[in-house]
Amino acid sequence: MPDLQFFATINGRKVARNAKPHQRLLDFIRDDLNLTGNKEGCGAGECGTCSVFVNGVLMKSCLMPLAKVQGATIETVEALAKTGELSVLQKAFHKTGASQCGYCIPGMVMAATAALRTNPFADREEIKERLGGNICRCTGYQKIFDAVEMARDVQNGRLAATALFEDEAKEGDFIGKNVRRIDTPSKVSGRLKYAGDMAMSGMLHVQVLRSPHAHARIVSIDTSAAEAMAGVEGVITCADVPGEDGFGVFVNDQPVMARGKVRYVGEAVAAVAAESALVARRALSAIKVEYEPLPAVFDPDEAMRPGAPVLHDYAPDNLTKHIPIRVGDVEKGFAESDLVVEETYTTQPIEHAYLEPEAGLAYVDHDDVVTIVSPDQNITHHRHMLARIIAKPISKVRFIMSPVGGGFGGKEDMIYQGMLALLAMKTHRPVRLVFTREESIISTAKRHPSRTVLRMGLTRDGRIRALEMKMVCDGGAYGLSTEGVMRKAAILAAGPYAIPNVKVDTYGIYTNNTPSGAFRSFGALQTAFATETHLDISAERLGLDPFEIRRINAMRDGALTHTKARLTSVSLTRALNALEKASGWEPGVPNSRGNTRRDLDRDDTRPPCALGARFKTAEKQEAAE
Amino acid sequence: MLTCDEYISPVSLPEAFAAMKANRDRYRIVAGATDTLPWAREGRAGDVHIPMLIDVVKIPELCEISVGDKRVRLGAATPIQSFLDDPALARALPAMPRCAVWFADDQIRAQATVGGNIVNASPAADATPCLIAHGATVELVSATGKRTMQLQEFVTGPNKTALADGELLVAVECDALPEYGGAFEKVGHRRSLVISLVCLAALIKLDKGGRNVEDARLAIAGIGPKPLRLTEVENFLRGPLNAERLDAAADMPVSLVASRTRQEYRRDVVRGFMLRGLINAAQRAGADPGMLVPELEAAYA
Repeated sequence: MPDLQFFATINGRKVARNAKPHQRLLDFIRDDLNLTGNKEGCGAGECGTCSVFVNGVLMKSCLMPLAKVQGATIETVEALAKTGELSVLQKAFHKTGASQCGYCIPGMVMAATAALRTNPFADREEIKERLGGNICRCTGYQKIFDAVEMARDVQNGRLAATALFEDEAKEGDFIGKNVRRIDTPSKVSGRLKYAGDMAMSGMLHVQVLRSPHAHARIVSIDTSAAEAMAGVEGVITCADVPGEDGFGVFVNDQPVMARGKVRYVGEAVAAVAAESALVARRALSAIKVEYEPLPAVFDPDEAMRPGAPVLHDYAPDNLTKHIPIRVGDVEKGFAESDLVVEETYTTQPIEHAYLEPEAGLAYVDHDDVVTIVSPDQNITHHRHMLARIIAKPISKVRFIMSPVGGGFGGKEDMIYQGMLALLAMKTHRPVRLVFTREESIISTAKRHPSRTVLRMGLTRDGRIRALEMKMVCDGGAYGLSTEGVMRKAAILAAGPYAIPNVKVDTYGIYTNNTPSGAFRSFGALQTAFATETHLDISAERLGLDPFEIRRINAMRDGALTHTKARLTSVSLTRALNALEKASGWEPGVPNSRGNTRRDLDRDDTRPPCALGARFKTAEKQEAAE
Repeated sequence: MLTCDEYISPVSLPEAFAAMKANRDRYRIVAGATDTLPWAREGRAGDVHIPMLIDVVKIPELCEISVGDKRVRLGAATPIQSFLDDPALARALPAMPRCAVWFADDQIRAQATVGGNIVNASPAADATPCLIAHGATVELVSATGKRTMQLQEFVTGPNKTALADGELLVAVECDALPEYGGAFEKVGHRRSLVISLVCLAALIKLDKGGRNVEDARLAIAGIGPKPLRLTEVENFLRGPLNAERLDAAADMPVSLVASRTRQEYRRDVVRGFMLRGLINAAQRAGADPGMLVPELEAAYA
């Protein structure tokens, strides 16, 4: 493979280096030049974290073969604040609070810079459109658009530069005030190093071999050919685990790598550390794994039936956790009701889709401390688990939490840190693993899919007399946070409503699907979806306004919840009133509107999705001329 | 992950044909590369090794653009963004800017090419149906000769074209339609960077008073294996411009939906897009405001 003799002007400096002909521009700037401000979020042109200027035109460096930009002038995010002074746009991002996890922000700042360079007078709709190739998972975009509009106005002299200064806030008086985040300058400039941006001298690159089967016995694993390859420094399987091979949040049912059998497509089976990611990938294809497929189960209701395939020996009924709640007597409550409504609700698995795919760096330090650096949302718990897995005293295990490029609960489980520790111990070198987007989606936890049967009894005046709920959740192949999710789902199932008779059962069930785990709201989404939808349906049947039926049943100050928590103050009624006002709600039964609704086409409602704001701007300009 | 032994960027057609001949069965042509790189990833082609990648965007014939009175010639390496940036192109091909604004995003449009979108032959390609509506023909060149054919015949099915071994798509020629109003309607899961579930290109030419349709051109994609031109509807539309006739025309292509998934939804969308596309195109062609019923405009334009 002849090298590519690459030359270009990058951030104002001449660069001439040998590169590989298959490299992408993104690989070159990040790996060869160590310009890690621009990130890789998807590798497929979807997210824009990698956006850079090529000859003044913004492009996605993950879609750009390096050979294509031979001789070009390239600017990365590092060029925007080269002297240390943030650009007007970067300051505006700081002012409006436009950065949260920060991972999308370097690309977002680049896209915003490009938008205002192309049209310094772009209106908000056009700004949205020109930023359309960049995804942010945290902010909901509004603060980003606020920032771009602020920068536009400062640049055009319509707004004083002092608008970019921090608002003065009295010491200790921060609630409801615009207080700037102290970490924003590092994020808007691309200086903040996430785990995948960190490199150490002598560092090896890790790749993971994953199961193609949903359920299969591992007959044999032969790593000898991979280990014999030049550049491969270490290969690990479950045989390399020195201690107790099991982790989890409530039950330690998950091995670091598959042991004896695989339980879902994407489960780690072996891992390789090599001089480059490419060599490690090639080594993966040299590992021979013999599988004997087993019957698999993909539906939790089927998994609960007798005779269903069993995932874990300790749970012959595939039950991860059942949480029952009993208050009063629901049968009595139904008997007292004028209306009983029963419906079934389902929700699907949901991916967290943080912009930063999982990544981690591990090394054994000079004092033999096994050190893991990763965007890990639960380092103390993981440190204790890892100590047991690698059979070391806790003083010889250290976890460092790197900046989390979005978590949403998805980085609470210790799914790859164990492999990193084992490879660092085996090779005596620093090792780094960076997931691809596809790998992140296939192998990491999702929100629990659910099927909820809900029965509610109400009197004619809208009072709920009884609520009976059975929710079955697909927990996937391993326990992870399932028990906690089932608990919170059950606790919040009856909502913030005073209901005298409640019967709730939530079940987390093992299946051969991708494991389900923590995800913001932690089970409340699934049950609240059922209960709140049910209230709307009940309101319709009773001829009540949906706000009214909620106010009728709302818990008040001093209420005792269904799990016996005393609430000294309950803001539900206040929240409902504010929501009703802010949403421009037209009072009435849910099905009373039809073709006569009046809440459309107002100034404060959004028209349907469209593109073409730039044509409108052009037409306006033409008209002005 | 895509790997190669060599990545070359020939600067002439003979140089490209020589490399193609010398590396028969071991090369792949690359233009913008915005489809090729995502293709070589997990879940699609996976890790792919191609001994030689031949990048054609530096070949002058593929970069030429000329706008004539009757025809517009686009080199195959013309970036999609050109339809938004080049006012002469936008005037001559009035539906193309409307299509371009829905094509991927500003960044990918600067790199992705007209020829790449055609040769990739996705059933959901955005540029291809729009070019078909503009009466596009393709120019195919090999070391030994040249042939031209209609674009709708060139694309034969999902990821399939009539491109022969050793041939390059060098240019696309379209009808110059400056007097037409153009529209492009598209829907997918998000606004930018989305694969079309349905997309529709519409072009309308009206008489001086803006009351009669002199010519209409329509092409649709995302509803079957390849983009289709809607000749029957075009013929029907010639005549008076009014809401009843637009309404009747909107129903005509609904039965063409052959997709295996979301058929009912796509049928609803086709009908809505026909109305919206025709109204938008007619308005941009200078329709007499009295000819379009306000309710229809409010609902669809």
